[in-house]
Amino acid sequence: MYLVHKGSEMGVYLFKRLLLALPTLLGASIIIFLLIHIAPGDPVRVMLGPMDDPALRARLIRQLGLDLPLHEQYLRWLGKVLQGDLSISVTIQRGSPVVELLAQRYAVTLELAFLSAIVALLIAVPAGITSALRQNRLSDHIARIVAMVGVSVPNFFLGIMLILIIGVSLHQPWATGGFVPLSESLSENLIRMFLPAIALGTAYSALVMRMLRSSMLDVMSQDYVRTARAMGIGWASIVRQDIVKNALIPVITVMGNSIGYLLGGSIVTETIFRLPGIGRLIIIGVDRRDYPVIQGVVLSIVLIRIVINLSVDVLYSVIDPRIRYGEGGE
Amino acid sequence: MSTSDVVTPPIDVMTPGRKKHRGLLEEVWHNFKKNRLSLTGGVIVMLSIVVAVFAPILAPYNPVEQFNAPPGQHNPLPPLSRSEEGTLFLLGSDKVGRDILSRAIYGCRTLLQLAASSITIAFVLGILMGGVAGYRKGSWVDETIMRVVDIMLSFPTLVLAIALVGAFGVGKTHIGPITLSNMFKIAIVIAITYSPAFARVMRGVVLQEMAEDYVDAAKMSGGSGWQILTGEIFVNTIPPLIVQGSLNMATTVLTSASLSFLGLGLQPPRPSLGIMLNEARDYMFGGAWWYALVPGVFILLIILGFNLLGDGLRDSLDPRQARRTRL
Repeated sequence: MYLVHKGSEMGVYLFKRLLLALPTLLGASIIIFLLIHIAPGDPVRVMLGPMDDPALRARLIRQLGLDLPLHEQYLRWLGKVLQGDLSISVTIQRGSPVVELLAQRYAVTLELAFLSAIVALLIAVPAGITSALRQNRLSDHIARIVAMVGVSVPNFFLGIMLILIIGVSLHQPWATGGFVPLSESLSENLIRMFLPAIALGTAYSALVMRMLRSSMLDVMSQDYVRTARAMGIGWASIVRQDIVKNALIPVITVMGNSIGYLLGGSIVTETIFRLPGIGRLIIIGVDRRDYPVIQGVVLSIVLIRIVINLSVDVLYSVIDPRIRYGEGGE
Repeated sequence: MSTSDVVTPPIDVMTPGRKKHRGLLEEVWHNFKKNRLSLTGGVIVMLSIVVAVFAPILAPYNPVEQFNAPPGQHNPLPPLSRSEEGTLFLLGSDKVGRDILSRAIYGCRTLLQLAASSITIAFVLGILMGGVAGYRKGSWVDETIMRVVDIMLSFPTLVLAIALVGAFGVGKTHIGPITLSNMFKIAIVIAITYSPAFARVMRGVVLQEMAEDYVDAAKMSGGSGWQILTGEIFVNTIPPLIVQGSLNMATTVLTSASLSFLGLGLQPPRPSLGIMLNEARDYMFGGAWWYALVPGVFILLIILGFNLLGDGLRDSLDPRQARRTRL
């Protein structure tokens, strides 16, 4: 009974969250659509620049519907976006669909983001747990100071220093940037992605570690932990069974919420390590004022972010500890 | 439970029982000076401000002056080497023979200028949006403003900043008869991305204050809404906004430097730490480590300083929360 009740409650909650996410996504799409119209002057001339030839111009105006009133342009654009048509790129592989460009490059960016998250977890979880369990001892102080520096180090600086130290001073050819597709060689791909993942994952891991530590301290001060201790349950098993598990919940939320950081940071990291991801794509787009490319990248990032936030919320409501403790008590 | 219940908002100055102003400031200072890390942060921030303000006095050379490498050598020259003219490059020279130390000192100046003006504009925008939304709580004005805030927060900061720079174009921007300098344009772009955070804090504080007796008293004595908002409520919203500002300074500095690093922010030859790091990439395989190390350490220290300071201020304003979560 109890679980069924919880289940339907969760359905309602999910539905509400979805309803809330839709207007946000719609609003974001308006801002992204308007990007092309913020700049003064004729956007077609800005986009085409020196390549302004009548044929491409006419095609672009038709593609973007620039001869229509603004609201009709938006609706047209939105309609196409919903069908997966993000228009064509003006400058990159001349005239190729933005969706294709995104598909080619997202593989790289998502791999980088995924590996960075793994690096972050590998560093943050042991460090955060140790730090919380040894609160205010030397190892805690050191971990906290390292985390503070880690949060503060810009990933572009860290990336360059990694290349300088490992690639240049230690003469490691894999540490100098560049990309090998997964389809070509798994090992070569992973080894090339190693430093970029560390450059991007370090600040992230510091963030997660800080969150995990404070969340663990929070859980450790809860009554049920004290009760468990008083009942004579071993400390190690309390830590494993209760503290770490419960402390990880808000950490998951934070990690999900900061997916935007990973995607934003990958723009910088890809530049340093010369990785052909969406970060490079948007920089080229901005450089060449290629609006469809800019719009496509930004829209996809916002979409991914909103979807991940939603999934984190879902995950969260599934593993809410109070439900589990409710079960345990029965 | 929604996410907002889990991620505790960083600022909680509205704890009952600490409303009196002098008491609050005294308590904040008392808590703040006990925390050695935040004091360190304060010192780093003060030092970087001193470096920025007195850059013309502190920099050994003009940051754009180019010196020739001695015969047989070429720029960039390593630290402690001398140019053909005999000038000493304490921290080395860059690709065209400019003094790295002088450029870093001036770069610190432009970075702080940019970050501070961005935060100030974001502050003003946020106060306006959040103030009006909070004062007209529940009205369509409030709904609209907060909806826009939500939408803007769905963009990662750096991504929104890059998109806006992309829309305006890199460099100077002409809007009708007005010409925006590149620096001012970037400051506005960054401010737009950070204003939603200020708006949220401002709205929260205004709502808190609205429940206070003095607002009712002012209303009863016939004050207009605008008078009450600017005259009575505004003063009390400053401390939490300052904390938000100092916390955001670190990320604003990072965003500013990232934009410049990507070639979308400040433009050469203006001395900028981000541009220096970008240029250094071309010379790292030649082993010119100082080219990247010096500007990088400057940026790292500035961000670290503001992070430590912001953390310290937040903890001092809410020691109860701090005891649990201080780092």
